[in-house]
Amino acid sequence: MKLRFEDRDIEAPPGASVLETLELAGIAIESSCRAGACQSCLLQCTEGQPPTAAQAGLPRNLVAEGCFLSCVCVPTEPLTIVRAGSARQRVGATLKERRWLSSNVLGLTLATDSPFTCHPGQFLTLVLPDSGLARSYSIAGCRAGLVELHVRILPDGRMSQQLAGDVPDGTPFILSGPAGNCFYDGVDSERRLILAGTGTGLAPLWAILHDALDRGHRGPIHLYHGARDESGFYLVDELRSLASRHPSFHYQPTTENLVAVVKSSETTPADSEFFLCGDAGLVNTLRRALFLRGAKLDRLHADAFVAAASGRS
Amino acid sequence: MSTLYERLGGAAAVNAAVDIFYRKALSDDRIAHFFDTVDMERQAAKQKAFLTMVFGGPANYTGKDMRDGHRHLVKQGLNDMHFDAVVENLGATLAELGVSAADIAEVAAIANSVRNDVLDR
Repeated sequence: MKLRFEDRDIEAPPGASVLETLELAGIAIESSCRAGACQSCLLQCTEGQPPTAAQAGLPRNLVAEGCFLSCVCVPTEPLTIVRAGSARQRVGATLKERRWLSSNVLGLTLATDSPFTCHPGQFLTLVLPDSGLARSYSIAGCRAGLVELHVRILPDGRMSQQLAGDVPDGTPFILSGPAGNCFYDGVDSERRLILAGTGTGLAPLWAILHDALDRGHRGPIHLYHGARDESGFYLVDELRSLASRHPSFHYQPTTENLVAVVKSSETTPADSEFFLCGDAGLVNTLRRALFLRGAKLDRLHADAFVAAASGRS
Repeated sequence: MSTLYERLGGAAAVNAAVDIFYRKALSDDRIAHFFDTVDMERQAAKQKAFLTMVFGGPANYTGKDMRDGHRHLVKQGLNDMHFDAVVENLGATLAELGVSAADIAEVAAIANSVRNDVLDR
């Protein structure tokens, strides 16, 4: 299959994705999950039509612009492709502050060189240009040129170990994005809001919670944070303090099975708006369970975290 | 004389029907395994396209599209019994939405018109 990337003509081997084809041709494309989830490898098609599967889950505005996920795009017709420049922002940033939120979750605050427009709760790709490493993180907060992220530090995580180690002042980062549909904008202010997640799935939920409170959400808000044990909880004091100041906000950390807890507590899901973030298995199980109990598809927003493919990018 | 698609309510009717129809499919032991994917957004998008077609709406499917799109399911055993279950769920969905028996029969007829393509025979 014939591809044209920028000014180069490239022949795609049968069955190969656009991402694989470009990499074989020596063209570096940022990628992370290689499963059609993280949107790191987003490209834009200016002629030809990418297969539907390569655009599934993208916001309608990106689909309209011809954007597609190159890792899951096995072309069925000749395509002319460019980097998705106009569709996603690429902004330089430097590290402003680091704060341990728990024994293995690091809160990062990055100062952007130019404005980065996003909805709190969406995710971005953080790029270390020197090493070419790229990873997706949810946006825990963004205002006045500052972007906050919660990073789980993994013992063998190539990116997270760098972020937790020595980062010299002025080290250049790039923020690329945003993506994802977990954000408050557009939610009915009277509706019951259910925020449920595990681990650093708290980052987008924290962002959505603050956005909802700042915009004067009037309906009840319930936050369920699941962890294997007590050490997995973080921002506990802050959340308890918020709950004491806002009678409509309820915070429930739990080490029980989160699917069972939410199912037993949320008995009329048809009336609620859900944001589910964190471990992919849990998020997908919970989404299905809530849908079967009557939750509306267009009020079920999920961000299933997919780990970066090992040994790649 | 209005078209079937107009009588049913067009795209708004598809949006109203997709939640009910998808929930029925996932709850129906006869066919749930064909819909058993974690990617609910993609699945819902496919069902919207299907409902648009059988509601008599704008759709450009060819027999080849139907064959190519379902061949992997035929290999997993997709047969008339499953097809009948889908048509049954479709009828129950429309009945819940207050659609007349005559219009439900018309929708079922459109669905049945692609039966042989879907089952690849």
